[in-house]
Amino acid sequence: MSQSSFMLNSKIAEVIKNINKVIVGKEDAVILSMVALLAKGHVLLEDVPGVGKTMLVRTLAKSMNCEFRRIQFTPDLLPSDVTGVSIYNPKTTEFEFRPGPILGNIVLADEINRTSPKTQSSLLEGMEEANITVDGRTVPLKHPFFVMATQNPIEYEGTYPLPEAQLDRFLLKLKMGYPSYQEEMEMLARTSGTHPIDSLDPVMTLEELAQAQESVRGVYVDRTIEQYIVSLTSATREHPDVYLGVSPRGSMALMKAAKAYAYIYDRDYIVPDDVQYVARFVLPHRLIMTSEANFEGKTAEEVIEELIERTNVPVQRNVSE
Amino acid sequence: MKKLLLSLIYIGGFFLLLEWLWPLGILTNTQNTGVFYLYAAFCFFLAFMQVRWYIAVPLKLLGLIFILDGLFIPERIFSSGWWSILYEQLMFNAEAVWAQEWWNFTAFFRSLLFLVLLWLVSYLLHYWLVIARRALFFIILTFVYITVIDTFTPYEAQGAIIRTFVLAVFVLGLLQLEKEVSDDDRKEIKWKTAILALAPLVGAVLLAVAAGTALPKFSPQWPDPVPYLENVTGGAGTGDGEGGVQKVGYGENDSRLGGAFVQDDTLVFQAIVEDRQYWRAESKDQYTGKGWEDTLEEPVTGRDPGDIGYSLFEETVETDPSQGFIDFTEEADFGKLLYPYGMTTIGNLENPLEIDLHTQTGEMETRSGGDSVQPASYTFDYGAPAFDLRQLREAGGEDPASVREKYLQLPSSVTERTKELASEVVSEYGNRYDKAKAVESYFSSNGFEYSTTDVEVPEAEEDYVDQFVFETKKGYCDNYSTSMVVMLRAEGIPARWVKGFTGGEIKETDAELFGENLNAYDITSANAHSWVEVYFPDIGWVPFEPTQGFTNNADFTSGTDTDSGEPERSEESPEVEAPDQQQEGNPQQIGEEEGTDGSAESGREEGFLRNLLWWLVPAVILILPAVLYVTRLRWLSWYYGRRLAKKETPDTFQAAYRHLLVVLDKKVQKRGEGETLRAYAKSIDRRFETVDMQHLTTQYERLVYRKEERLQRTGLSELWENLIKKALS
Repeated sequence: MSQSSFMLNSKIAEVIKNINKVIVGKEDAVILSMVALLAKGHVLLEDVPGVGKTMLVRTLAKSMNCEFRRIQFTPDLLPSDVTGVSIYNPKTTEFEFRPGPILGNIVLADEINRTSPKTQSSLLEGMEEANITVDGRTVPLKHPFFVMATQNPIEYEGTYPLPEAQLDRFLLKLKMGYPSYQEEMEMLARTSGTHPIDSLDPVMTLEELAQAQESVRGVYVDRTIEQYIVSLTSATREHPDVYLGVSPRGSMALMKAAKAYAYIYDRDYIVPDDVQYVARFVLPHRLIMTSEANFEGKTAEEVIEELIERTNVPVQRNVSE
Repeated sequence: MKKLLLSLIYIGGFFLLLEWLWPLGILTNTQNTGVFYLYAAFCFFLAFMQVRWYIAVPLKLLGLIFILDGLFIPERIFSSGWWSILYEQLMFNAEAVWAQEWWNFTAFFRSLLFLVLLWLVSYLLHYWLVIARRALFFIILTFVYITVIDTFTPYEAQGAIIRTFVLAVFVLGLLQLEKEVSDDDRKEIKWKTAILALAPLVGAVLLAVAAGTALPKFSPQWPDPVPYLENVTGGAGTGDGEGGVQKVGYGENDSRLGGAFVQDDTLVFQAIVEDRQYWRAESKDQYTGKGWEDTLEEPVTGRDPGDIGYSLFEETVETDPSQGFIDFTEEADFGKLLYPYGMTTIGNLENPLEIDLHTQTGEMETRSGGDSVQPASYTFDYGAPAFDLRQLREAGGEDPASVREKYLQLPSSVTERTKELASEVVSEYGNRYDKAKAVESYFSSNGFEYSTTDVEVPEAEEDYVDQFVFETKKGYCDNYSTSMVVMLRAEGIPARWVKGFTGGEIKETDAELFGENLNAYDITSANAHSWVEVYFPDIGWVPFEPTQGFTNNADFTSGTDTDSGEPERSEESPEVEAPDQQQEGNPQQIGEEEGTDGSAESGREEGFLRNLLWWLVPAVILILPAVLYVTRLRWLSWYYGRRLAKKETPDTFQAAYRHLLVVLDKKVQKRGEGETLRAYAKSIDRRFETVDMQHLTTQYERLVYRKEERLQRTGLSELWENLIKKALS
């Protein structure tokens, strides 16, 4: 599905190349992380521990010279452990704000489903509002702000599954998957000496990133593409296996992600291929399947795949305008 | 190797097409059929060589023009006269089309339509065989066509069926082989493999043909459908070429003689008479160079059946009084009496009919209240003439003016060589009878051959007699009798052309009638016949029979002792043959008595041409859209390609690209509903091992998804052409 035969944006190509020094394989995950970053969205990684989630985020942060923070969610974690807390300073006789880990550029929220909903929502609120409120004070979050939350597959015990309404705060939901045999061998070879992340140099400044995000916003979306996006999302609402379809917010997310994806491939306009590709990661976690479908083992990913195959791709210029 | 296969298939297809064309030459009496075969071959050749359209179309057009020029336009080609003739022809026929008077089309226009049809058909076949690689349907059609043609027309398709079978099996076998070759692109077939693959095919075909020829065959299990059907349906048909099917029978129109016909054993009437008689219907006096016409005359109406008062010969001729009975079937509806020579009275007419007698022709029309009605049956008295040879030989004196005026007529079309031949044939003889006998017997040898199938129609400038006597020497009664009349007239002997029926086949001996034991004869359509009457002063009209395999019905008695010293050849005098002997002495007769009067064919022929036209016009109208539809991808490709090549603009490019999508979707690979252009382009390129489609697609995407108003690159037309060519090949 990757479009490697088409040209990448040169700056992004540099970043990806840098990341690939550390991460073996996982091109999709890398590209999609970039998509979320450029579209100012956040990523939910759903996978078992130890497949390189943390390493991916750390590499990303280091490549862009970002401030990297990590929150390990545990059942006893409090919201203030995320947002930070005001502490009385006897010297100045004032409450002084000690920022929490959310006030970084790139935040890894590990195992987000292991903490209480209250703590979860403190993070989710920040992701949504781009600022947080601590002790009645509004604290703006940093720019750029990018959360990569990981979650163990929800069947595991001792977890607090994220409510559906919260899930669509994430632009994308990805799976890393296990590396292939070859990739794992390569991984061992690379990490046997010094870990390559230690010698990684930043290749993109924050200004450049902000610029890139600005450019993504300027990517042209033709009317035909908008129609295509809406056709796709509205088709989810009519699918018999779907209890609750994609919301308009999902359509917007799809467009944003497609824009970023187009930008990564050095285009200033979206083609249907962009929409199709990102739809596989933008849409499934926004669907609620019927219990019958769940029972039959049909997944949201399958529904989306089916709809992509079925929905007519616009191939002619829209002349109604 | 693939090329060779394709060319073999193609040649097979061409021969199959020829099977369609062969009968046309025979059935429609179309002259110069060779030209049409050549043109078909030419079109096939061009299509086969895959000559570019801009060369092929002018070439085919030129060929068409040359053929039409050679056939119809005497002027020098492309001279101003030539153009004006062309213009006139086209205008005239355009008016005919406009007025929907298809029968008014000139031969020029018909040929033009036919050539265009051939052109289209060659294209269609090319498509079927080489592009679609399907031949079965065409082969089935060919078989149906040939069997129908064989059944309902004089065309003998025995050879055609075998040829078609062989061709069909070859073409199908080759197509199968070809399919297997192209299914496996990488496997390049070697000559050796090819021969190994072809050898069983050839062997199987040869074996099948040999076995088919060698094995005993059933005789036909069904009756010949044409007479059978007509019997069943009480079919009409005095041979006026219904539905273009030519068959023998009695008809009215003799103005154009010639052409082949098919036998038809439908019973017309039954006669109970003592001896086999020729049944006279009428005679005709005017030879036109193509056939016979009547000088119109007012009939003597209201003749008394009890006393016809009409005799073809004078009372000096001895007669042998006898009686007879005629019973017509439904088949007979020519509204005439048929009568033996020497008939005097008619009796027992079932219904009160009026008899109108044409004294010149001897035609006795039967009417009821002004309408022509065929009597169902009647009895008659007749005195069968026995002409005295001495009397005939000695007949001198002047012919009456009325006879000379009418029965010496010759059109200007009669050639000098005909006249020369006539005087040569009769030169030895002094009297009219011997001269007539000399001409009569001239046709029994001298290379003449009786045939009903292989008979030509004279061309526009050709004389019917000249063609038969000097060119073809093949024909049936009309050819013989007309030729004899013309040769006699050339020698100043009054003669005329008579039509009617021969005596038919004996059905029953000792049929009881009038208390006498007579014979019953069955006379069928195939017994329709024509012969000659020669005028002898003071004797009257004496019948002669020049047609090979037929014997004169009239008796000639040698009378007194003078015959031995005559200079004539011996076989001439003893014409006194009993009917039974006739039949035995002339084994050909039964098979060949189908000799019709020409009316049938001429009417048929005209009907057939008209019919052909009726078919031709809708055929062109039907086939043209079909060809356009079948070939739409090609000519649309041509159109879009031209537009794009002329000017590469976003509009022309988008149209061309969309057309390319259609072509690829139809010919190469379907594009799924949700398949993006980019993904589709990739898989197309993988297939064709190019990157052209992706280049085109990138450009197209910019126009559609980015709303660009100008093209980013040039040379799109070239890429497009490459892809279209690959997609269509």
